[in-house]
Amino acid sequence: MVFGLLLVFFPVSFPRIILHSWQSGNLIVAMLVIALTLDAYLYFRIAYLLSARPTALAAACLGSLPIIVVGGCSILLQSAVAQTLAVDLPNPQARVGEEVLAHTYLGLVSAVFLPFLVIRLLQQFRATNSARQS
Amino acid sequence: MAEWMSVKWLLWISLYLVLGVFVPWATALAWAHQHGSDLRPRPRQLFQRGELGLVGLVLVISVIWNLLQSQYMPQTRALGAVLLAVIGTMAGAVWIETYCRHSTGMASNDERAWRDSRNLAFLVFSVAVVVEILLDRFAKVAAL
Repeated sequence: MVFGLLLVFFPVSFPRIILHSWQSGNLIVAMLVIALTLDAYLYFRIAYLLSARPTALAAACLGSLPIIVVGGCSILLQSAVAQTLAVDLPNPQARVGEEVLAHTYLGLVSAVFLPFLVIRLLQQFRATNSARQS
Repeated sequence: MAEWMSVKWLLWISLYLVLGVFVPWATALAWAHQHGSDLRPRPRQLFQRGELGLVGLVLVISVIWNLLQSQYMPQTRALGAVLLAVIGTMAGAVWIETYCRHSTGMASNDERAWRDSRNLAFLVFSVAVVVEILLDRFAKVAAL
């Protein structure tokens, strides 16, 4: 939602910052730092609210999945940019900028929320298995 | 200035909020009034079994369709569609799980169903709004 508000209120400067960051090769590192920080914050906050002890499996999931997701998104972005430039389309530079913007947002959301959704899904399976065993 | 004046996405998301959340609630109030009942359900009571997850799933389908119709590269469309589908499936799963638990008489936590469906519906709405803003921007770039 913050990303959307920044896009609405700073429609030129915010995308330009992201594009410059991508061109200088810092975008992936920044995305990783943001995703891992938000994941850690959310994880400890949820553990505190539920009075639950953090488990090694969940920590490993939260630590590794964002890196895998951001890495995968980076490969997809390079491929999308190469294809945009290879195909004879009008206004290719602006299109590349929009592709970078979209991948940044989708990559960030995936890296932050997918680990939690995977943990939630695993919890459902574990609950089902323990109910079946009892 | 002219860029952010475009509020097409705001109108679009408002349609879902009005038709998906406000209209069912208003219909319940109208039904209670028509039948002379004291029933005054709040949105929380109306959606306590995770129905907001279903609203989120329906919203996601619409956004995926819009994304697939866009001129983004196939990689971007695929990434967005998969992400939206996963979030939508999880939102729908809250409603399904609660329904199954109620139907089979298993222990069910309506408080958790409401909280999970509300949070996931908010996530779906947030992602949907931003994806629609991105689609709007891309449509303008592609039209140049």
